[in-house]
Parts: sequence; C-alpha cells; structure tokens
Amino acid sequence: MIEVEAASKVYVTATREIWAVRDISLSVGGGEFVSIVGPSGCGKSTLLNMIAGFEAPTAGEIRVAGARVAGQIPDGLGYIFQKDTVLPWYTVRQNIALGLRYRGRSAGLINEKVETLAALAGLEGFEELYPHELSGGMRRRLALVMTLACDPTILLLDEPFGALDTHTKTLLHMELLEIRRRTRQTIVLVTHDLGEAVTLSDRVVVLSRPPSRVLMNQSIDLPEPRDVFSIRETEAYAHYYQAIWKVLGQEFRAAGMTH
Amino acid sequence: MAAIMERTASELRRQLEGRQRVIRGERMQVLGWQVLILLVVLAFWEWTTRVPWFIEHTIMDPFFVSRPSAIVQRIYDWTFGPKRGHLWPHLASTLWATFLGLVAGVATGFAVGLLLSQNRRLARILNPYVIALNSVPRIALVPLITMIFGLGVGSKVVTAWFMVFFLVFFNTFKGGQSIERELLDFCRTLGGTPRQITWTVRVPNALAWAFTALPNAVSFALIGVVISEFVGSTTGMGYLMITSLATLNSTDMFASVVVLSAVGVTLVALIRRAERRLLRWSPEFR
Repeated sequence: MIEVEAASKVYVTATREIWAVRDISLSVGGGEFVSIVGPSGCGKSTLLNMIAGFEAPTAGEIRVAGARVAGQIPDGLGYIFQKDTVLPWYTVRQNIALGLRYRGRSAGLINEKVETLAALAGLEGFEELYPHELSGGMRRRLALVMTLACDPTILLLDEPFGALDTHTKTLLHMELLEIRRRTRQTIVLVTHDLGEAVTLSDRVVVLSRPPSRVLMNQSIDLPEPRDVFSIRETEAYAHYYQAIWKVLGQEFRAAGMTH
Repeated sequence: MAAIMERTASELRRQLEGRQRVIRGERMQVLGWQVLILLVVLAFWEWTTRVPWFIEHTIMDPFFVSRPSAIVQRIYDWTFGPKRGHLWPHLASTLWATFLGLVAGVATGFAVGLLLSQNRRLARILNPYVIALNSVPRIALVPLITMIFGLGVGSKVVTAWFMVFFLVFFNTFKGGQSIERELLDFCRTLGGTPRQITWTVRVPNALAWAFTALPNAVSFALIGVVISEFVGSTTGMGYLMITSLATLNSTDMFASVVVLSAVGVTLVALIRRAERRLLRWSPEFR
C-alpha cells in the first residue's frame, strides 16, 4: 500500500543543510497497522509528511497504492495531526460535514453521514456546539470523524494522542482499534509512546536520531481483538516492549547526550 | 440519612443564594459610586460657575466653560426644543460620512490584509511602503485631502478611510499569517481545493481578526470625519464646533462635544454587540 524507497529529506537554510531522514526504506501492506517510534527530533513526522504529499522527498521515491506521490495528496488518505485541527468557526455538525461539502456531496447524504459519525464519536447532542465548548478528547474524536467522513483507506496519525491524559488516551485507543476492526484501513502511527505503539500495531518501526534511518522492524504478534486495558499485563506484551526498548532506549540516551 | 442530606442541600442552596446577593450588591455599589462621582463633578461645575470668586479667579467662567444646565438646555433646544432643526442635518452628515469611511476602510483593509498575508513575496516587497505610509501622521494629511476632495462628503470619507484602513489591514494581515500550516494541510486531506480552503478557512480566520479591530475602527472613523470637518466643510458636528469657536459660544461647543461623545459610545456599543454575535464561536466571547 505504502512504499518508501531510499527516501531522504534535507532542509536547506542560507547557511547550512539539515538531513532529517536519510535513505529510509519502508513498506506498509494493505490493512496493516504500523507504528513509527524514535527519539524526539528524529524524522518521524517528516516521513509521514512525505507520505501524505505535504513535502516532497529530496531524494528517493514514495508510492502510495502504486502511484508516485509527488507533492499531491494521494486519494483516500486521511491525516490526523497532534495539533488541534478542527475549525473553530464551525459547529460540530459543520466540521463533520466539511470533507463531504468539499467533495460536493448532497445535503441528504451529508446529514445522514453526520448523524452516524457524531454517534460514532460520542458527540450526539453536541452537534450545534462550537469546538471551544468541547473537551480535548472530544475535539480529538471530532478531528478523527472529520477524516472518517471521507472514507479514507489510509490513515496517517502524527502523535494524535500526545497531549491527552492517560484515561482519555486509553479510551481513544480502544475506539481506534474498534474503527479499524470495522473498516480495515491501513494505518501509520507516529508516536513517542512505545506502550501505545505495542498496544495498537501489527508492526513497530524504530527510527534513529537524525539523519534518521530504520534501526528495527519488529512484528507485534499479539492476539486480536486486543483489549487495550488488559493487554499491558500480558507476558507477550512485556516481551515485545522490552525487545524494542533495548534498541529505542539506547537511541533515546544517545539523543539526550547530543542535546 | 436522607433527612440529613436534604437539610444540607437546602442549607447549601441558602448559602449560594446569599453569595449571589452579595455579588449583586457589590455590583450595585460600584454603579452607585460611579453615578455619585459624575454627580459631584457636575454639581461642582454648575456651582462654581455661579460663584463670583471662582469666576474671577479660576477658569470656571461660564463664558469659557459654560455650565451643565445650560448645555443640557442647549441640547434639548437643538433636538426637540425651539431650534429642533439645528442639530439633525449636522449629525446626519457626520454619521453618513463615518459610515461610508468605515465601510470603505474595513472592506479595503480586510481585502488587502488577506491578500498580502497569503502572498509572502508580495508582502515582503510592499513591507517598507506599508510602514512608511503608516508612519505618516494622519492628521498632517487632512488639509491635503481637503484640498483634493473639496469641502463636501468626499474628503470626510477619505480621511475616515485613511484612519481605518491601516488598523484593519494590520489586524487582518497578522491574523492571516497566524493560520497554522497543519490546519490548511488537514483541510487539503479532506479534499478541499485551494479555493474552497480560502472560503472555509482563510476568510473566516481573517474575518475574526478584522472584527477585533472594529470597535477601534469606529472610533477612528468618527475622529477622522470630525477632523476633516474642522479643516474644511459646510456641515457636520465638526463644522458645528468650529462655528462655535468662531462665535466664542462655549455652550454650543460643549453641547456638540456631548452629542458627539454619546454618538461614539453608542456606535462602539453596537459594534461590540454585533461582534459578540458574529464571533460566538470564539472562546473570548463565550
């Protein structure tokens, strides 16, 4: 579904050049859930931005569903940012409807879909409120269903749960897995939270400090459906967590020293 | 147990109601003091202008400072009294010019601000000119504007426009630039075309910023019109004040000032109200 082939990204300023990622190769299969972890400041987000077509790679190639990504957002791609990206001047209803309006869908279809999605996000009864009247978790869910309204086949998540408390975060993990079980999107999650990565994904990719390359590519073979609350107590979870932490922890330490 | 809970509940209610009474009482007290201060000042003004010693030894000579009762009487004469035709044309003339100047200034300031905030290169090229124009003392240009646009409504509108334009322009420009890249990218992933994103993201965002400049813009427009009327015109509140000066009539002068202040306060209050409605989505106006 997603092919990254020897992709590099260099940021050039007037005085120097900064290599964010160097020669990264990565492949994500259809319906797969892959998490990318690494120390902060590594090219995790850059990689995701290149897959989404927000930024072009300096060298190398990225293909999504067989087509080369060249400065254009691939069809069927949804992206959730860490930052709040709901539109404050629209109500919950108008926000959910935004993608459908962009695509020129009929009012009847929009209404129908908004209702379903509001229910999915636990936002029934809040349709006429403005985002500032919602909690942080509700705004996250709103952003998620805004994307789901467009029926994405690929979801790119850039630390979407970073700013939330553990309780809200865990509930959202549960909902994400539930949504994925139903619609089988291909998901790439960038996170600095290894626990989250192991809990949710089929595979965890560890990136190094910049210029980033792939240090580890670990399949997570935990039984489905996963219960996000109890999975962390299992031995298999601990096994994967420790195996990845051996590599990631060292990278964290090294990154800390150079800072 | 239930009885205890019920009793505490009713006690709590009483406490809360008591607290509300205190808050309401405090609010009334503040208002009371405000009114009292006003009354004291007015009474002092009225009284001193009737005491020979004050008239001779201080500035409180009714020839120069008039007195509150005379001013109120004059405003009444102008509005509903014997000279009722006197005020309305001037007031209407000032208000009409203010309205036109405000609309022109807000519309152009918004449009240019939005355009430049979306075009980084153009903004960089025009930057020194914008700063230079903005540094020109506004009032210094009023005689020139009057010379070019004449004694009619034209020069008033242009002056008001000039006062308002930069205010709205800078706010819109800053707002347009403050929009987050993530928000734009997010809307692109939702399938928005550049034009759709302009109408659903850039314009509402810039409008919100432009709105915050409106209360000041109204005041500025009014000031611009009155100054233009000072410099040269045949109608308007500013004209009324200048003729009062020519005839050394301080009561007319004060009456004009009071009317003008009342107009200013009313206009700003109306705009704030409109703003609160339009920006209902903004946390600042919750």
